[in-house]
Amino acid sequence: MLYCDAYLTPRSLADAFTAMAEYRGRYRLVAGATDTLPWARAGRAGDVAIPALIDVSAIPELRERRVDATRVRIGAATPMQRFLDDGDLARAMPVMARCAVWFADDQIRAAATVGGNLVNASPAADATPPLLAHDAQVELACAREGKITRRRMALGDFVRGPGKTALEADEILLAIECAALPGYGAEFEKVGHRRSLVIATVCLAAVVRLDAAHAIADLRLAVGGVGPVPCRLHESENFLRGGAATLARLEEAAHMTVGLVQSRTRHDYRRDVLHGFVVRGLASALRRAGGASPPVGELEASHA
Amino acid sequence: MPDLRIDATVNGRAISRPAKPWQRLLDFLRDDLNLTGNKEGCGAGECGTCSVFLDGVLVKSCLVPVAKAQNARVETIESLGRAGALSVLQRAFHKAGASQCGYCIPGMVMAGTAALRANPLAGREEIRERLGGNICRCTGYQKILDAVELTRDVGNGTLPESALAEEEPADGRFIGANVRRLDAPSKVSGALKYAADMTMPGMLHVQVLRSPHPHARIVSIDTAGAQAMPGVAGVVMADDVPGIDGFGVFVNDQPVLARGKVRYVGDAIVAVAAEDELTARRALDHVTVVYDPLPAVFDPREAMRPGAPVIHDDAPDNITKHIPIRVGDVESGFARSDLIVTQTYSTQAIEHAYLEPEAGLGYVDPDGVVTIISPSQNITHHRHMLARILALPINRVRFIMSPVGGGFGGKEDMIYQGILALLAIKTGRPVRYVFTREESIIATAKRHPSRTTLKMGLTRDGRICAVEFRMISDGGAYGLSTEGVMRKAAILGAGPYNIANLRMDTYGVYTNNTPSGAFRSFGALQTQFATESHLDICAEKLGLDPFAIRRVNAMRDGAVTHTKQTLGSVSLMRALAAAEEAARWEAGPPSSRGATRHDLGGAGNRAPCTLGARFAAAEHAAQPEKVA
Ligand SMILES: Cc1cc2nc3c(=O)[nH]c(=O)nc-3n(C[C@H](O)[C@H](O)[C@H](O)COP(=O)(O)OP(=O)(O)OC[C@H]3O[C@@H](n4cnc5c(N)ncnc54)[C@H](O)[C@@H]3O)c2cc1C
Ligand code: FES
Ligand code: FES
Repeated sequence: MLYCDAYLTPRSLADAFTAMAEYRGRYRLVAGATDTLPWARAGRAGDVAIPALIDVSAIPELRERRVDATRVRIGAATPMQRFLDDGDLARAMPVMARCAVWFADDQIRAAATVGGNLVNASPAADATPPLLAHDAQVELACAREGKITRRRMALGDFVRGPGKTALEADEILLAIECAALPGYGAEFEKVGHRRSLVIATVCLAAVVRLDAAHAIADLRLAVGGVGPVPCRLHESENFLRGGAATLARLEEAAHMTVGLVQSRTRHDYRRDVLHGFVVRGLASALRRAGGASPPVGELEASHA
Repeated sequence: MPDLRIDATVNGRAISRPAKPWQRLLDFLRDDLNLTGNKEGCGAGECGTCSVFLDGVLVKSCLVPVAKAQNARVETIESLGRAGALSVLQRAFHKAGASQCGYCIPGMVMAGTAALRANPLAGREEIRERLGGNICRCTGYQKILDAVELTRDVGNGTLPESALAEEEPADGRFIGANVRRLDAPSKVSGALKYAADMTMPGMLHVQVLRSPHPHARIVSIDTAGAQAMPGVAGVVMADDVPGIDGFGVFVNDQPVLARGKVRYVGDAIVAVAAEDELTARRALDHVTVVYDPLPAVFDPREAMRPGAPVIHDDAPDNITKHIPIRVGDVESGFARSDLIVTQTYSTQAIEHAYLEPEAGLGYVDPDGVVTIISPSQNITHHRHMLARILALPINRVRFIMSPVGGGFGGKEDMIYQGILALLAIKTGRPVRYVFTREESIIATAKRHPSRTTLKMGLTRDGRICAVEFRMISDGGAYGLSTEGVMRKAAILGAGPYNIANLRMDTYGVYTNNTPSGAFRSFGALQTQFATESHLDICAEKLGLDPFAIRRVNAMRDGAVTHTKQTLGSVSLMRALAAAEEAARWEAGPPSSRGATRHDLGGAGNRAPCTLGARFAAAEHAAQPEKVA
């Protein structure tokens, strides 16, 4: 169980930094608390006593949501369910909607925040690959010498390793900004031990836009679960960009990923899955982008 | 730091009351507001027994810090309906038979309600997806999904309201008819009180210190620090047992609290009763146990070897139970065989994972009767054992069986009821002990892991001539049901086949692993897994159809089993025919493949696990209606 002497819910960024200064070194931030509470149980951290929990989910900047034709800005405390239920957001970030439906379950998604998922930095965090595909930037804030300052960096630089990020001890993850990708076809592929409430063994985000001639104008692929940090599949992307979307080319792009799997366990399994996910994920994304793509059923039969 | 003050609307009523800053919404609802309809099945977001609406959104209240309920609107299962005034969905659960032990059901009702609120026309796949965060271990999901679909259809008028009513058995006969459960309304409404939902005036909370060592001598136990803590009302250990210390389903080899040594990680050593759970937990940190680690053994085959560490002094060979069965002459059977196949099969430990973690209350009633309320699957036997342990006449010990939130054999053992009795006697107050999910997994019995070596001799046409069968099971640190499990394994393990020559040995062996105990099928699963797998392998080697090889050897009406039981009727031939038809089996050896593959899709195949039914529903809804 997680015990605390104080549970603080600051209503502004300034109040949050005041609380963080008051409890310096003796607090823990929470947003949805869906990583933090299960962590403080037998078999993991066990009973944990902390002087203060500071809940950042009521800070207006962390609940922001701005969507226009080219950019999206979402507060770090945006619950994952919002990517499904908010139509504008779902259109601007089609792959986040696909990701969200695979994320935990409806109930946990109502609490679990996108910022918590990034800061927790699990190698299998589901939200990271789609946000990498969106070329997301993170915005961090801290209060030093009485002044709130902000800095930005690419998400790929923020996530440093399992459980490791570039977040400093006195910083809060404020928001995520990224390109809006309306009109892109998207797919999120995930496999774990079961369907709901499962940590991914491998997950993959795929987004594609076609040009008038139905060639691939843009595509982004990112994968989680196969190494210490989620990453983009640049080699496959470069190979496919500008070309026709044939099954043979998808297969070839998938072959380029075999060397990427670095995880220590279930190595061969993950390699096979990643290969399959690239082909199947792209096929679905292409279909949703309005292209003719090999039907998924046929693909599976061809592998049987 | 002062407590929080929570102002909220709970089930339509305004509340304003203090809460601890670390409390979860679930604790606040259950402990402070006495709304016990929603349960704690796991405390980690995995099971959904705790699902409640927070500002209209379904959440898992075990993962919600209570501060998040400030100024919010909370609805629990109690808000949806009560017996006599059930919601449509609750009535549909009753009608569909969607409540067995009932422990998951309040959460399921909440999730079903949420699914239909989100999409009143949700299809079965979408309902399945929206209920994905809720686990049921006994009803199975079909009836639950049926109930949600029934509600949807009554809600949108496709079915009349009368579809929710009980069907009278046509000819007035109840046997074979679809009868509704009498206890369903109490389960679908959350009104039924399981042990963890019960409280008594003046009740204390129990926590137990468990061994971190698999095998160690206890050098000393110092409880002075715990005893001195304000709020601690009593501390007990083995010395507090007044009578003959030991319980078990067959042999009484398990002390109420570790006596002299610990035998597995999770063995209970000291129990504390305190005014609240937190104090009891903290008190455990003030108990000092000095251990002298002993060599431990984790593989039953090693435990059987001479010189292995001895776990119980009265079983120097570590054998809990050996069941030998001898029929006919195995050697001559093998000599007559055209084919002899030897294989080894192993199965792993399995946790029952009933949704209700163990819980119980103990008190001494005004007449001095020690009373235990717990979801025990065997209260009469427990009563006899506890009387001996407490050195009380049987009429001074009473067991009350609380509703069992799933047992599957796992609640046959008396592993904590003795602790409740000792603390109730020691403190003179009612005590309650509620396991966490982790404690339940660490401390309670599992299905026996097994290793079976099977040698079978057959004729060319598949007739079994002889079987030699040796199963070694890991019984773990205590006997529990091992003896019975070994008996059933031996009695049923060779399957429903006529085997003239059989040598069958099943061994239950002590190790320093978590104890093994009763679990649905009671040993037959492990041995039959070996036998049935073996028959398939033999069929393949002989080029025979797997159904044919079973029919050749099948027991028929009047058969005599290898333990000399005459069977009046045997349904095996019917079962085989039904299985063959349902599987659309294409005749041939197991290694042959029919002309067409039926396993990749189409009738009888479950589509691969996927999610996103709601996208399909949304895409469908977005299509403009075609106007004729
Ligand atoms: C049953 C279950 C199923 C799950 N399934 C999935 C799944 O399918 N996929 C998946 O990826 N994850 C899953 N998770 C993990 C978890 O839900 C997610 O990682 C979630 O996004 C965490 O967000 P949170 O707001 O709840 O985190 P919290 O527990 O509140 O915080 C997590 C960490 O981030 C820090 N933090 C939070 N917000 C900020 C901020 N704004 N600035 C700085 N630090 C911050 C906290 O201090 C803490 O260290 C699951 C969890 C459970 C219990
Ligand atoms: S999900 Fe909350 S108790 Fe299991
Ligand atoms: S009825 Fe669902 S767990 Fe028992």
